[in-house]
Amino acid sequence: MSATAEPLLKLDGVQTYYGSIQALKGISIEVHEGEIVTLIGANGAGKSTTLRSINGLNHPRHGTIRFRGRDITQTAAHDVVRMGIAQSPEGRKLFPRMTVVENLEMGAFQRKDRHALPEDMERVFTLFPRLAERRNQKAGTMSGGEQQMCAIGRALMARPTLLMLDEPSMGLAPIFVQRIFDTIVEVNKQGTSILLVEQNALMALEVANRGYVLETGKVAMADDAKALAQNDDVKRTYLGEI
Amino acid sequence: MPTVAALLVALLLVWLAINLAKGPAYFTNIAFIGLTNGAVYALVALGYTLVYGILELINFAHGDVFMLGGLISATMISAVFGVTTKSSTGFLVLAIVCTLFIAMIGCGVLNAAIEFVAYRPLRGAPRLAPLITAIGMSFILENIAIGWKGPGYTALPNVLPKGDVFSAGGVTYTWEKLIVVLITAPVLAALVYLVQRTRQGKAMRATAQDRDAAAMMGINVNRTISFTFLIAGGLAGAGGLVYALYFGQLRYDSGYQLGLIAFTAAVLGGIGNLPGAVLGALCIGFIQAFNEGLRWHSPGSDWTESIVFSILILILVFRPEGLLGERTPEGG
Ligand SMILES: Nc1ncnc2c1ncn2[C@@H]1O[C@H](COP(=O)(O)OP(=O)(O)O)[C@@H](O)[C@H]1O
Ligand SMILES: [Mg+2]
Repeated sequence: MSATAEPLLKLDGVQTYYGSIQALKGISIEVHEGEIVTLIGANGAGKSTTLRSINGLNHPRHGTIRFRGRDITQTAAHDVVRMGIAQSPEGRKLFPRMTVVENLEMGAFQRKDRHALPEDMERVFTLFPRLAERRNQKAGTMSGGEQQMCAIGRALMARPTLLMLDEPSMGLAPIFVQRIFDTIVEVNKQGTSILLVEQNALMALEVANRGYVLETGKVAMADDAKALAQNDDVKRTYLGEI
Repeated sequence: MPTVAALLVALLLVWLAINLAKGPAYFTNIAFIGLTNGAVYALVALGYTLVYGILELINFAHGDVFMLGGLISATMISAVFGVTTKSSTGFLVLAIVCTLFIAMIGCGVLNAAIEFVAYRPLRGAPRLAPLITAIGMSFILENIAIGWKGPGYTALPNVLPKGDVFSAGGVTYTWEKLIVVLITAPVLAALVYLVQRTRQGKAMRATAQDRDAAAMMGINVNRTISFTFLIAGGLAGAGGLVYALYFGQLRYDSGYQLGLIAFTAAVLGGIGNLPGAVLGALCIGFIQAFNEGLRWHSPGSDWTESIVFSILILILVFRPEGLLGERTPEGG
């Protein structure tokens, strides 16, 4: 992770709008190969919008996004996945009338190596045994926590180079939250870089290498995760310490 | 209120039963007519349901695409192939199969073009906007038909064999009715295969359920929507051919009326639900045939449209999700 190597993902002055409302006011962040990077910040700070800018659902009006050395600022969402970025989005966005297995298969929709799918699906079921029990249940009828696991599993099925997770611990019981964070570390060890958006800043900073604090569409702080966890402002605002 | 609905259904069943008892063979013959009508309606109803499923848009121009399919078919059969009542069976089959492909491809491409021109630019607009352009498209297509064929009926020679496939105890089934089913069934089977088994079908189902998520899976959403319109248009083209062959004539406004009936069929079955559209179409086909054909206390053909739209209203009041639709928050 030398400072000179080109980062895997690099956002430079990204400004993104919803109609006439400006959600991002110049975001610059980087994710290097092999890293876990976390975005933290209050509700409405622009974390989800940052992910939507990267994955092509909401193209920036200004600024650039580069992934593996290529400019993907205006690349269509379906091409971004093919280049190796998969996401478990905010609100999970499962296919409600498809079963768990079908949802997981959809995650691998653009992959050419179809023979490897059963093995990958078993890997997801090992990570989330709960999903294995529900494999033939329609995703729309599952609990919020189960849906969250399915959404993460679906993103893993893409075998991405960069995995983006938007509040993966949302709606999960504490025991499952721990399991999700263990999974994140595990997946990262196997070589996937991770961009993690979290409300649970404490745990996010524990597993991440570096972190960015977003405030109203801007990067307010950027530092090593350990340093951020020790920072008084961060502690006060996001870690619930006084 | 549900008791009122139950009472209506009970009354209908009693009426059918008495008619059946009074003349079983006659009743069966009328049912064959219903089945044939239903097959034509199903081809058109599926197009409404496919498009609604993926865009939540009622494509009001769909009936007119069907009408143009009928005019293309009539022209192909009589003017291009020059089929007459004296043509050999082999030539007739060849002409019908070729016409089927041409009508399906023509209407499919037309429907996809309509989406590209009239609906895609309004993708992010309020839902009323594409609805209005759909009605506008409908008028444009009807005027194209008038410009091409004039306001009168375009007629087709009676090319389908009228003989009996079988006839026993007063029950007869004619070749022309069988041919309608023989054209419809493989088209429906191909559709089921496409949607259930192929990669394109998977992309269609995913896009229908969550467009953003589908894009995140690597699905080209715009191309999938185009493809859906292509398929819907192709079905309408097949419907146009069958209609032209079976009913023998049509004109610029034939798609308006049949479109409304097919749309009602789609709502009856549960809009967005493919088997539902076929079931709804068969129901309406039977209801129409029984209403117009049965002898004992049937309201008669003057009442067909009133009855069809009364059914639409009853469905919307008592069971808006339709016969086969699921009760889901997003309505489909
Ligand atoms: N679909 C939308 N339409 C309009 N404004 C939106 C939309 N989604 C988000 N915003 C606005 O953009 C800003 C950033 O939102 P978001 O990225 O969802 O924040 P976060 O994920 O950090 O909670 C907020 O002010 C929010 O109100
Ligand atoms: Mg968010």
